[in-house]
Amino acid sequence: MATRATSSSSTYAALMECVRSHAPASHAVANLPLTISQTRAEALLHVVHDVGGQPDGPIDKTLHKPAHWEKSTHCTAECLAWRGHWVSEERRRRENDLGETLYFGTPYYARWLLAATKMLLDKGLVTPDELLAKMEEIRAREEIAA
Amino acid sequence: MSRFKIGDRVTVRDIPPLFHTRTQGYTRGRTGTVVALRPEWVIPEDEAWGRYEGRREPFYIVRFNQRDLWPDYGGAALDTLETEFSERWLEPAS
Repeated sequence: MATRATSSSSTYAALMECVRSHAPASHAVANLPLTISQTRAEALLHVVHDVGGQPDGPIDKTLHKPAHWEKSTHCTAECLAWRGHWVSEERRRRENDLGETLYFGTPYYARWLLAATKMLLDKGLVTPDELLAKMEEIRAREEIAA
Repeated sequence: MSRFKIGDRVTVRDIPPLFHTRTQGYTRGRTGTVVALRPEWVIPEDEAWGRYEGRREPFYIVRFNQRDLWPDYGGAALDTLETEFSERWLEPAS
């Protein structure tokens, strides 16, 4: 497992370069005081997952073999539903709430994972401290294994 | 009790989407034909916001001609698209 990207100033600069590359290539610059037209307001309310009719590249039709983490993510989402913490429609809404950059910039199951994580934090089922401690525990375990 | 039956012509209401929707933007204001009825279920607008025991409505499968959905559709005139709506999204075609 790679060391954390913020561990030195040069890797931090590289991280920021990567973060900047997530931003849309073209975007309208909003003036201050912030005013927007009705048309733009409606465009901003357009729901991110409603992509029908938008131009896109060719569709990759090769069969995807799910990775272990993808299966685990799916199982986790189902178990959270089984225990009454959400339903799939709430998961989809929470994926939209990630915003366009994360929605279009993360793999399919990473969206599930981010939505599940925020749901658990929103509902107080885990605390940020618990989550960070677990992430550190897994990072350390993976580094030993590598 | 379903408001519409198979064969009815229906128009999709053009309500603003608020952060989540199951009604595709390209169907808003378009007219199609009910081709199947689906059992009542909690509407997505409630489920999406954590109201798992929210309002229940019948759902319908509506078939559209592709040429009615896309002004520049280049395929065959016979091509259709089917999608699903809860009852609140549909009104009788005028």
